[in-house]
Amino acid sequence: MSLDWYLVVSAMIFCIGAAGVITRRNPLVVLLCLELMLNAGNLALITFSRMWGNGDGQVFAIIVMVVAACEVTVGLGVIVAMYRRRLAIDVDDLRELHG
Amino acid sequence: MTDFAWLVLAAPLAGMIIIALGFKVWPGRLAGWIGTLAIFASFVLAVITFLKLQDADEHHKQVASTLFDYANTVGVDAKLTILVDPLSVMMILVVTGVSTLIHLYSVTYMNRDEGISRYFAYLNFFVFSMLLLVLAGNFFILIIGWAFVGAASYLLISFWYRRKTATKAGIKAFVINVVGDIGLTLGTFFIFKHTGTLDFLGTFSQAGDIGTNNGDLVAGCVLLLVGAFAKSAQVPFHTWLADAMEGPTPVSSLIHAATMVTAGVYLIARMWPLYEVTPAAANVGAIVGCATLIIAATIALAQTDIKRVIAYSTMSQIGYMIMAVSSGAYAAGMFHFMTHAFFKALLFMGAGSVIGAMAGVQDMNKMGGFRKVLPFTFITMLAGALALSGIPPFSGFFSKDEILADVAQRGGFHWILFVIGYIGAFITAVYTFRMMFRVFAGKRVAEAEELAHGHLAHAEVHRNPTDGEVEDTDVGFPGPEHYIAERAIPMKIAMGILAILATIAGALQIPTVTDAIHKFLTPTFEGSKYYESLNPSNSFTFTFMAVGAVLGLLGILLAWQIWVRRPGTSARIQARFQPVYTFLWNKWYFDELLDALFVKPIAWMGRFANQTFERLVINDAIVGGTTMLVRAGSAAVRAAQSGLMRSYAAVLVLGVGGVALYFLLQS
Repeated sequence: MSLDWYLVVSAMIFCIGAAGVITRRNPLVVLLCLELMLNAGNLALITFSRMWGNGDGQVFAIIVMVVAACEVTVGLGVIVAMYRRRLAIDVDDLRELHG
Repeated sequence: MTDFAWLVLAAPLAGMIIIALGFKVWPGRLAGWIGTLAIFASFVLAVITFLKLQDADEHHKQVASTLFDYANTVGVDAKLTILVDPLSVMMILVVTGVSTLIHLYSVTYMNRDEGISRYFAYLNFFVFSMLLLVLAGNFFILIIGWAFVGAASYLLISFWYRRKTATKAGIKAFVINVVGDIGLTLGTFFIFKHTGTLDFLGTFSQAGDIGTNNGDLVAGCVLLLVGAFAKSAQVPFHTWLADAMEGPTPVSSLIHAATMVTAGVYLIARMWPLYEVTPAAANVGAIVGCATLIIAATIALAQTDIKRVIAYSTMSQIGYMIMAVSSGAYAAGMFHFMTHAFFKALLFMGAGSVIGAMAGVQDMNKMGGFRKVLPFTFITMLAGALALSGIPPFSGFFSKDEILADVAQRGGFHWILFVIGYIGAFITAVYTFRMMFRVFAGKRVAEAEELAHGHLAHAEVHRNPTDGEVEDTDVGFPGPEHYIAERAIPMKIAMGILAILATIAGALQIPTVTDAIHKFLTPTFEGSKYYESLNPSNSFTFTFMAVGAVLGLLGILLAWQIWVRRPGTSARIQARFQPVYTFLWNKWYFDELLDALFVKPIAWMGRFANQTFERLVINDAIVGGTTMLVRAGSAAVRAAQSGLMRSYAAVLVLGVGGVALYFLLQS
């Protein structure tokens, strides 16, 4: 099977994730979509790793997973804290830091 | 001998540092004794240097010695060099000797002032600066000493810093002296341009080869004269000296007698090889000296503040010296410097004693009848006044008449200077004895009456003698000046020694008899065109000595007629010649003239810079313009910072997509 197919799938997943991040307002869904984008990246990394017969890409993929896990942990913590303070769970309403 | 000369400098410096370090711990009086001792040590070392110099053989009487190189690049040899020769040794002897006595006098006079430690630290610094100036072996050290003296005079003139008039006078003195410093520095540049060396001896050895009235050298020498005129209070830079009377009386004594104002005389005498090849510059010096001596003498006739009368007398006498050294009468000029240091220091000390008896009042209109109640002050001041008026056998007689005889010997337009010099001598006798008679003769005033009964008058409230403003006697204001020579041993010693010197010092240089100063200074002035040739014949000298003595006596007689025999005469003369009197009372309107020419335009420029230029250009255009630019730029990009996370993500994705597309199309 040619590598192209893997990369096409990866690109599709990435686009779905990106579209989700851009269009959805619920932070939980945004986080889910971010995970999709990261996984698309991982898929591409592993594909290339296979292509070169080299383990580096796999190592990177694992590091990305760890980073993603950490990010989600922090992100969920922030969302829970917001919920506790009865703030709107809507990324568009959270714009206190605008210029 | 240069070893000892270096120590001459070190002693006052050490004294200043010790006093400055210990002023919080020790009582003020100790600072006084330390300061006096430091200057006395300096005097002893100066005497040793003098003795060593006398031992040196004929060809080794000019010794330069270098402590270390300050900078030695591109041919500039800026070294820490002192030059020991008869001229500088004579200067350090007089400076340290008279300064020791002034310090001794100050120990009592300033005793009750709260700032006494500060006072003595400044005083030692002043003497150190002056010694550095006269011992300088190159222009570099000379400029340092020159500027230090100006700074020290500022500190001492505005010593009572809470008096507005005192700080104003200090600033005036400082600014005028800085003008002089600029002249001196620029003049040094001109001379350096020609000779390529800053060293005195190197410069002088080349002076002969340059040729008469070389343009650059004349410019340099005239600029040096600007420095000399500012320091020595010559027309038109003389206005600061009368205002400098705001300082304590011993400070006036120090500035007028031993230090500061004599620096200009010394400078011209030191630079004689340059002035002899630039007669144009030397003539400027002689004419300005002569103008000053007559202008200051006439002003002194009308002043009523006792210290100001003596101050104008100093300008007048320095005028004689400047005229002498500019005309080539170096020995006579330096001789007059020495005798003047003795009798002028003495006159100021006497004035201090009288002011002490008057509880701080300096106006001669309020004085009178002190002769019997201040006998010691009267006798010593009389010796000083006779010396100043040029009455034989007092010292001033010999020095002043030698100057005039030598100037006449030059011939040409110097004859005019000579005649004016004699008119000045006559006026000197008149105003000196006007002062003496008004203070010591006549009806006893209340203060003198009190003193006759053994009480010193105490001022109920202290007032500024210039504007009558009420003062307290806290730090920064004058302490109670209640010391009179009659009751203070140190003051008595200082005045006694000076009175003896003022009386007998003339014996050092009696024409054809002793001539000691002339012989002593010969090594310095070897090779001078005028030094040996300006030697008026005996009949000439003695004729004009007699004329000088007669003029002095006539002056005293006139003063006696006006102020003692017929007391109303002065008021009648004043009413008769009202315009002349007003003109003299206002000091020939020099202050107003300088105000209109320099102070007002520069103040206007300052106001323009401050209020118009700074506000429009600096604040609005440069500072305001920069902030405005940043503000406008930030306003433009602020819209992009919406805080909407999703729009940021969209922009990011679009951007990454765009970059990816670009690379895809490239490949």
